[in-house]
Amino acid sequence: MRLALLALRNLARNRRRTAISLAVVATGTAALLLTAGFMAFSFEGLAEAMIHGGLGHLEIALASAAEGRTATLERSAAEGLDDWQEVQARVEALEGVLAASPTLHVAGMASTDSGRSAAFLGVAGDPVRERRMGFSVKLRAGQPMAEAPPREGEDQVMVAQGLAQVLGIGPGSRLTLLAVDPDGMLNALDVTVAGVITTGVQELDTRFVRLHLGSAQRLLSTSRVSNLLVTLDTTSRTETMAARMGELLAGHEPPLAVVPWTARAPFYAQVRALYAGIFWFLGSIVFALVVLATSNTLTMTVMERFRELGTLRALGTSVWQVAALVGLEAVWLGLLGGVAGDLLGAGLIAVLNGIGLEMPPPPGAVDPVELRVLVVPEAFGGAIVLMLGVLLLAAVGPVLRVARLRIVEALAHT
Amino acid sequence: MAAPPVFDARGLAKRYRLGQTTVEALRGVDLRVAAGEMLVVAGPSGSGKSTLLHLLGTLDEPDEGSLAIDGIQTSAMGERARTAFRRARLGFVFQTFNLLPVLSAQENVELPLWLAGVGARERRARAREALAEVGLGTRLGHRPDQLSGGERQRVAIARALVHRPLAVLADEPTGNLDSETAAAVMDLVVELNRASGTAFVVATHDPALIARAPRRVTLRDGRVAGDARQVPA
Repeated sequence: MRLALLALRNLARNRRRTAISLAVVATGTAALLLTAGFMAFSFEGLAEAMIHGGLGHLEIALASAAEGRTATLERSAAEGLDDWQEVQARVEALEGVLAASPTLHVAGMASTDSGRSAAFLGVAGDPVRERRMGFSVKLRAGQPMAEAPPREGEDQVMVAQGLAQVLGIGPGSRLTLLAVDPDGMLNALDVTVAGVITTGVQELDTRFVRLHLGSAQRLLSTSRVSNLLVTLDTTSRTETMAARMGELLAGHEPPLAVVPWTARAPFYAQVRALYAGIFWFLGSIVFALVVLATSNTLTMTVMERFRELGTLRALGTSVWQVAALVGLEAVWLGLLGGVAGDLLGAGLIAVLNGIGLEMPPPPGAVDPVELRVLVVPEAFGGAIVLMLGVLLLAAVGPVLRVARLRIVEALAHT
Repeated sequence: MAAPPVFDARGLAKRYRLGQTTVEALRGVDLRVAAGEMLVVAGPSGSGKSTLLHLLGTLDEPDEGSLAIDGIQTSAMGERARTAFRRARLGFVFQTFNLLPVLSAQENVELPLWLAGVGARERRARAREALAEVGLGTRLGHRPDQLSGGERQRVAIARALVHRPLAVLADEPTGNLDSETAAAVMDLVVELNRASGTAFVVATHDPALIARAPRRVTLRDGRVAGDARQVPA
């Protein structure tokens, strides 16, 4: 005979009430798992979207250019890398690096033959490396740019859909890009629109242009690049690889900075903080509901068994053994409810992911987002531990009641 | 040197608050119970029988007077010591049986041994033996709700005796039984008292039960109104 077994048998006495309590705990656990899984998916999805949408895992730029600036689009050619090909070769030789792609940022004016003009922000890169790095553009019309370096007079661009609308252009249209080079001279480049794309961000879609690196260097009359974007085989190695690259490039003149993507995406940290706030808010509600519901159950089980508990005390059971009996009933409820909640949560995650629901586009985004819930293994264990804690908290009142029990009064209880 | 009495109560008084009034449940009770003795505490409802048993069983503390059990003053004991004392030296039988409904007859009887830290094998053997002594050797695995009232009280008696206590305190043990079953339970109590040498203090107002005891202590209004030896019927 063990106290834990006795506690379990006591729970089985009023099966309906125990089942309701277990359902409350299981539902709370499943709710936490779904929230944690959805958050994990959102964080992971957002992180990968940012990394493969053009941030890369790491950026290598002149330290003077990187300092105090977050957004990659702020890098100018005037503060660019001269010997980027040598740096690129050294970085790409590191194990775990998928590729190091040069990018050149250019800002200026885009004009059409019909006289329409609009300001643009351009990012030029190496399409071959970007494909290897998993960078993706969402093509809305036309076709991707040619991957080979364009010959003079055959330059192509991809125009974001908002800008294409403003300029009234589409695939095959001719466009003249005007930009000021690092020496302050105004240059022009005639290009053909290969395709219309979206960045996924409405504001950026009204100004964004993608170019081949060769075209941008021709427009800016420079051989420099703004930076090198590095993509790794896994996101989790970002910090360690940043340190390794920092050591590798330590002697470079002028000094270089290796900046992880998180430092260039304050938006990501803001989203995480917002979601964490929501999670804790929801968690608090679940916590309070489970505490209230189970505390009521435990109180009822104590009230109904006053005489029985008094008998146990009369027979020589210590106060703490009787209190432990009630506490163990709470532990069983937490444990069994938590395990049931894990199973329920896993089932719901499988169903939700199987259905393939879509959520409306988030604020500022263009495309709807697929609703997926990730399985977070540590959340499954954590939820059970949390529920055990919740139930122990709920048991405090009933346990104190038992500890104050007067045997004679308990024996007279009807 | 003679063995000390099992119970040596002197001037026991107990008062309860009942709303705005104070009820004097016991008003200076003197009582000595020798080892192996059997007595009934008789008296009408409200005479203080149950209160006296609660005090003798260290379930409650007197407001006045002193109580020594087996020579040990209970006033010197703290809550933990009283609990340990009850566990080791006393047995209880209640009017409503008070068996744990989730335990089988054998497990209920094992309970005092489990509390005393007796090993599982010995516990089982002693519980079976105790149940056999009360005639329930074939009902070991039955739960209380599968037993009749008489059988439940027999299990309770086995539970009270299994750890070989100094004394068993029984409060209206036949109060919930029909007369035939009550007589059988009383026969059993008398027999076990003789066989085990354990003192029995039985509170009752059942005339048939009172007539079976060799000593009758009568309480009235919280006082001992009579203490008579008699030839058991």
